[in-house]
Amino acid sequence: MTNEALDVLIDCRNVWKIFGERSDEAIKAIRERGAGKREVLRDYNCVVGVSDASFQIRKGEIFCIMGLSGSGKSTLVRLLNRLIEPSMGKVEVKGRDIAQMGPKDLRALRAHEIGMVFQSVALIPGRTVLDNAAFGLEVQGVAKAERHKIASDALARVGLADWANHMPRQLSGGMQQRVGLARAIASDPEIILMDEPFSALDPLIRKQLQDEFRELTKSLGKSAVFITHDLDEAMRIGDRIAIMKDGIMIQQGTAEDIVLHPADAYVAEFVAGISRLHLVKAHSLMAPVSEVPGDVLARLPRTSPEADVQALIDLVLSTPDQAVAVEDAGTCIGVVTARTLLEGIRGEEHAAATIEVVA
Amino acid sequence: MAWKQQIKAFDAWIDAGMTWIGTHGSAAFSALRGLLEGGYDGLLWLLQLPPWWVLGLAVGGLAWRLVGRGFGVIAAAGLILCWGMGLWPETLETLALVLSATTIAVLVGGIIGVVAGYSPRVAGFVDPVLDLIQTLPPYLYLLPAIAFLGYGPATAILATFIVAVPPTVKLTALGISRTPNEFLELGTATGASGWQTFVKIRLPFAARSIMAGVNQSLMMAFGMVVIAGIVGSGGLGETIYASVRTLDIAKSVDAAIAIVVLTIVLDRISQAAQKETP
Repeated sequence: MTNEALDVLIDCRNVWKIFGERSDEAIKAIRERGAGKREVLRDYNCVVGVSDASFQIRKGEIFCIMGLSGSGKSTLVRLLNRLIEPSMGKVEVKGRDIAQMGPKDLRALRAHEIGMVFQSVALIPGRTVLDNAAFGLEVQGVAKAERHKIASDALARVGLADWANHMPRQLSGGMQQRVGLARAIASDPEIILMDEPFSALDPLIRKQLQDEFRELTKSLGKSAVFITHDLDEAMRIGDRIAIMKDGIMIQQGTAEDIVLHPADAYVAEFVAGISRLHLVKAHSLMAPVSEVPGDVLARLPRTSPEADVQALIDLVLSTPDQAVAVEDAGTCIGVVTARTLLEGIRGEEHAAATIEVVA
Repeated sequence: MAWKQQIKAFDAWIDAGMTWIGTHGSAAFSALRGLLEGGYDGLLWLLQLPPWWVLGLAVGGLAWRLVGRGFGVIAAAGLILCWGMGLWPETLETLALVLSATTIAVLVGGIIGVVAGYSPRVAGFVDPVLDLIQTLPPYLYLLPAIAFLGYGPATAILATFIVAVPPTVKLTALGISRTPNEFLELGTATGASGWQTFVKIRLPFAARSIMAGVNQSLMMAFGMVVIAGIVGSGGLGETIYASVRTLDIAKSVDAAIAIVVLTIVLDRISQAAQKETP
């Protein structure tokens, strides 16, 4: 096995989920004659929840699945810990096919490897915040003193150390969601599934929690699958983003990929409202080195391919040449000039629109 | 006429059936009788152990703690009234009857309710039976009970148990089956076993509903007290039944007041316990 393969925590291959009483027949129809979503609904009265999804979650990465309600994102995330059984396809967690696991292995997987945070938080009303945070450990049979210690540490991590002995109803929505996160990390899973955890919160709190979540996940070295209906949230949190519509994963890629190269009109429409300023990096803005004479190139300031627009603007303005060279591993791979910078900020589809108007 | 003969044949068949059950099940019935009366006697002995005023104060204190100061005083005063009317032994007998019947009803009903809460198929079978119990006039099962268990507290407890059991079964089943889905999902996603999910998630959510069932069962049991007097329950029910037969209206009113006092005190205390449940 290569190193890269070892780094894959979740491998989802051609996974389908079909809901309905006649799902067996529907699957057969899809398999044998490639029946479509509409056909399946018309002929078998079955709903396709997830259609042929394939993706990988790598170690340490936050993978956002973004889609509107009914797009199948919540179904998809539940296939990853087998809260829902896939109709077809294979889900492997750390190289093990979870469909083949017996009840005991599956419980162990859920208890130790994959944590989950819910939109509704699901804090048990009669328990203190501390006992809620310790719930996963309690289920695992960890002794009271030890689980309370671990849960207190987890609460401290999410900034709720002082609230351990309160009841859940005494906490605000944002605080409750933090308890949900503490409960998930207390079991120290390698992967955390987040099912629209911040959707019900008001915008200011949501933004704060997004940043905290990202920081916490990265500092603990966890991987996460984050479900959201909010593209801004996906861009803020995700290392990679997948966009779902009608059960189909339309596009996967970094925020930059998706904004700069939307796979279809649906994605394009979505990303139209997104500010590209903080997403566009030097490597997607640069022009070939041949654009500037060699002597000018030699005296230009240097930057990395990952430099963002803000940094580029500062650099370009700092020299009389109004350009900056992009350097990767010691070689010049391109230049960013004031012109390419402006074009990049304006964006491709805007350029196309302008041309249409002129024509 | 032919149909009259047919009805006679039906009656004879019922009689024969009863006799058959009576002879073949006599060992089981005497064991059941021993069990019920043993429980009743034990509880009664326990209640008679402290002097009347200690029990009165204890109940008043409990009411104070759970319901409030005002009701604590009322409860204690009510029990003093029962003693003052010269009905203390009967009051304790009634209390022992109601509590033992309700305890059995809660244990048996709780188990049936949990099973019915998990399995819609079991619920589909249990519900009509409970509806039947609740619509049948109590006299109908009082008489066969006398035939099998004889005159005395055992029959009274069985009859009281039968009327007391439906609310606990129904409300337990409701509570267990209505656990919010997201919490069941939490259990599964955390790797909880079926038993852990039951104890740590379903039961806490059902607790309120179950407590409401217990309260209702208790009230149904009190409703049976007077009727159970006919079969020799002892206690206030039998006092009322005896005084009605001798037209001793005043004494029957005294006993009725004592029943009302007991009912209100236990109702309020069990309701408060339900409210305390998270």
